[in-house]
Amino acid sequence: MKKILLLEDLPEIRVWLKTLAFQVFPGAQISEASRIHDALELVNAMRFDVAMVDLGLPDGSGVEVVQALRDKQPDTQSVVVTIHDDDEHLFPALQAGAFGYLLKEQSREQLSEQLHRISQGEPPLSPSIARRVIQYFTAQARLQPAMQPDTVTPHVQLTDRENEVLLRVAKGFTLPEIGQQLNLSRHTIADYVKQIYRKLNVSSRAEAALEAQRLGLFRR
Amino acid sequence: MQDTQHNSSEGLGPPDAPRLGRLAVWARARAGWIGLTLVSLVLALITGSAVWWLSQSSGALTQPSRAARDAGVQELTRAWSVPGQQAAYPTGAAGRMVLLPDEWARSQPGHQGSVWYRFLFDATPDAGTEPLAVHIERACSAVEVHLNGQLLYRSGRLREPVTRQCYRPHLVPLPAALMLARDNQLDLKVAGYPLERVTARERAGGLAGVKVGPMPVLRSLHEAQVFWTSTVSQVLGGVLLVLGAFALGLAWVRRLPYLVYFGLLTIGWALASGRFWGEEWPVPNAAVELFVAMVFAPMAGLAVKFLLGYAGDARLVIRGVDWRRRIVWALWAQCLLFPLSVLVVGESLLFLVTRVWFGLFAVELFAAITYFLWVAGRGGRVEFWLMSVALGAVAAVVGIELAFQFGWLQRWGVHITHLVMPLLYAAVAVRLIQVYARALQTAEGARAQLEKRVQEISIEIERNFTQIAELRVEQIAERERKRIAADLHDDLGAKLLTIVHTSDNDRISTLAREALEEMRLSVRGLTGRPMVLSDALADWRSEVVSRLGQAGIECEWRNPNDTIEEPLSSRTYVQTTRIVREAVSNIIKHSAASHVIISVDVRLTQHDFVLVIQDNGRGIPLELDGRLDRGHGMTTMKHRAKQLSGQCLVESGPGFGTVIRLTLPLEIASAQQLRTHGAPGGAAPASMEVHTR
Repeated sequence: MKKILLLEDLPEIRVWLKTLAFQVFPGAQISEASRIHDALELVNAMRFDVAMVDLGLPDGSGVEVVQALRDKQPDTQSVVVTIHDDDEHLFPALQAGAFGYLLKEQSREQLSEQLHRISQGEPPLSPSIARRVIQYFTAQARLQPAMQPDTVTPHVQLTDRENEVLLRVAKGFTLPEIGQQLNLSRHTIADYVKQIYRKLNVSSRAEAALEAQRLGLFRR
Repeated sequence: MQDTQHNSSEGLGPPDAPRLGRLAVWARARAGWIGLTLVSLVLALITGSAVWWLSQSSGALTQPSRAARDAGVQELTRAWSVPGQQAAYPTGAAGRMVLLPDEWARSQPGHQGSVWYRFLFDATPDAGTEPLAVHIERACSAVEVHLNGQLLYRSGRLREPVTRQCYRPHLVPLPAALMLARDNQLDLKVAGYPLERVTARERAGGLAGVKVGPMPVLRSLHEAQVFWTSTVSQVLGGVLLVLGAFALGLAWVRRLPYLVYFGLLTIGWALASGRFWGEEWPVPNAAVELFVAMVFAPMAGLAVKFLLGYAGDARLVIRGVDWRRRIVWALWAQCLLFPLSVLVVGESLLFLVTRVWFGLFAVELFAAITYFLWVAGRGGRVEFWLMSVALGAVAAVVGIELAFQFGWLQRWGVHITHLVMPLLYAAVAVRLIQVYARALQTAEGARAQLEKRVQEISIEIERNFTQIAELRVEQIAERERKRIAADLHDDLGAKLLTIVHTSDNDRISTLAREALEEMRLSVRGLTGRPMVLSDALADWRSEVVSRLGQAGIECEWRNPNDTIEEPLSSRTYVQTTRIVREAVSNIIKHSAASHVIISVDVRLTQHDFVLVIQDNGRGIPLELDGRLDRGHGMTTMKHRAKQLSGQCLVESGPGFGTVIRLTLPLEIASAQQLRTHGAPGGAAPASMEVHTR
């Protein structure tokens, strides 16, 4: 029996998402929240297997909850459910540790299909997100030599294969197409994508820690 | 003298100075050090000759002119001389005939005290109306004049210590009452010192240039001589005093040691040679002589120090040995040794000892000048020429002076050497002041430049400020756009979404979904950044391929191989997305096609790109009026293409599918915009922003 956190401020949509979740995870135990505050309390109180998090909430951004989940329950799959399809909104959530995203206006069939895939470990990856990830890691690689050697940040690097997948996604190829091109199974491709998400999150957290450290030094 | 002035006045012209310096460098480059030395020596030779010539011809100033001789002036050149201290001419004593000018050093060596001279002369008949007078050019050190046994004039004390009047001519009127028609006896009693007991030949006992003639003629002669021997010296002395004080002041302000030396040297020379001294000294002659001579030791030291300092004495450290310190010690020692040596050898050898010392000073001076010339010649300094001229002048002056002192040269009256040195000082002083003035000018220039720079920078700061303000306005506009976008999403988006998911009516929910998509595209057009064509193509490809794949339609996408960096505004991107989306929707809904080919062609020369969507479906049925079905949204697609200054052609027929040919222009103007927004690398700061928020 899956334990699911559902964070959504609009009641009608929340009801609708709940039905969707039941459809994908029959017999799941669903905890609902309409504000970040409530969601964070729930995160502290119990463990979840899946979290469906809306981004634009009355008391802030759902990214906070994604981050809290990443910190306290690293095994939870956070899925961003949002109306924003652009990388400007999605990328920070992915950096914070979200494992995938769903666009709200899609039809029930599409959404359930995607949610199912995510829960099976096959997160989606759009070309614009892929481009942002590439840019991010390029910038990191450029920054790396400038960092002091004594900082204990692990330098997260993508493997050649992961890079290959990213580049192909960025060029507009779909994941099944890339699987065919590289002669890889659907699962292997999905693993690469998962690794990319994980590394994005790890690198971002290290960067954030470094940034905090730097600010601390300044304040001293 | 002429050359010195010429040179210094040339040096005053600012543009000349570097040229002169270049000349030195050129001479060195062409002919080497020997050439430069030769040039310097020739210059010195010319100057020296000029000084020599002036010195030789200056005697004429005090010689009675032919006109004066015609006016009845007779020069008395023969006299009976009798050494003795008597109050009147010792008539009975054995005397001897001497020829004027009479130098005791020759006629009676070693004699100290007084010598009587008796001249006999006739009153010239044609000068009867004018009162007569006697003019004595030089009587060293003091003189008494008697006419026919009657005392007429006493210049000063004739006993020890004798009044010192060696440089002064005397004019004594001869009263007519005492005059005889013939054989007037003119007796001169001269008191003085032997050469051995003085330090300069000018001050050794002797008598020269005795003339008798009409008072007015002799007075003018006397005045001329006083002018040249005393007044000019005093004036020059005064000028040197002022220059020296000025140099000292300058040295104090600028902290330049060599200026101190120059100032002290100038003042010292002015005091030593300015003839300001009283004639009566209540101390023995030897003490006065020693004092006067002693002054030259520190002055030689000052001159050497000045020349070394002005040239820059850094080269005097040879192989780690600092010769500067040794030189200073030597110069100090010299100041002390000079009087000591005089005291040791005694008064009677004063002249000889001082000659030796003066010779040494001259050698030191020449060595210092040579060093200066060497340094100045190396550096191509303008002073090289000034100092070459100075070398010549000093050589001539010292040569004349030494020749005179050793008695090889007979000359009385005006000493041109006493005039040349002050002029040399003046020339050097002018040069020093000029250097200072130029430094001042440079400083002023630097200050002006600095001010200009400050002004430029402040203008730049203002401009930057304006730019920042503009940027800020842009940022505010950007933020406002984002706020509007967020509001649209949160309000309109949420409501549309609710309709999408709660409406039972399929058509209504589809409409709401389409409206939502439209809204999102609009917001994207409002806030979106311009993108690169390749990225846009990737987005379209991904969407089209996955949509067609989900619908079970085979899809073939033909992209240009290379990356196309042409910019695409968010408006064009959004509109094209709509067109493509519509076309794909049509294929999925109506065409029943099994295969779709999409090809993209970018024509950079025509500055546009062509997107062709071709399916193998059943085509679009024609309406009765021969136009394509409006229900398929063809009109909207065409309208959108037209809005972007492009076109959308649709070819279709029943049975052979549909071809949609979309041609859209590429944008040029927004390339700049793209660069400022900086698509690559912009990710990192954006992500940081999120973290710190």
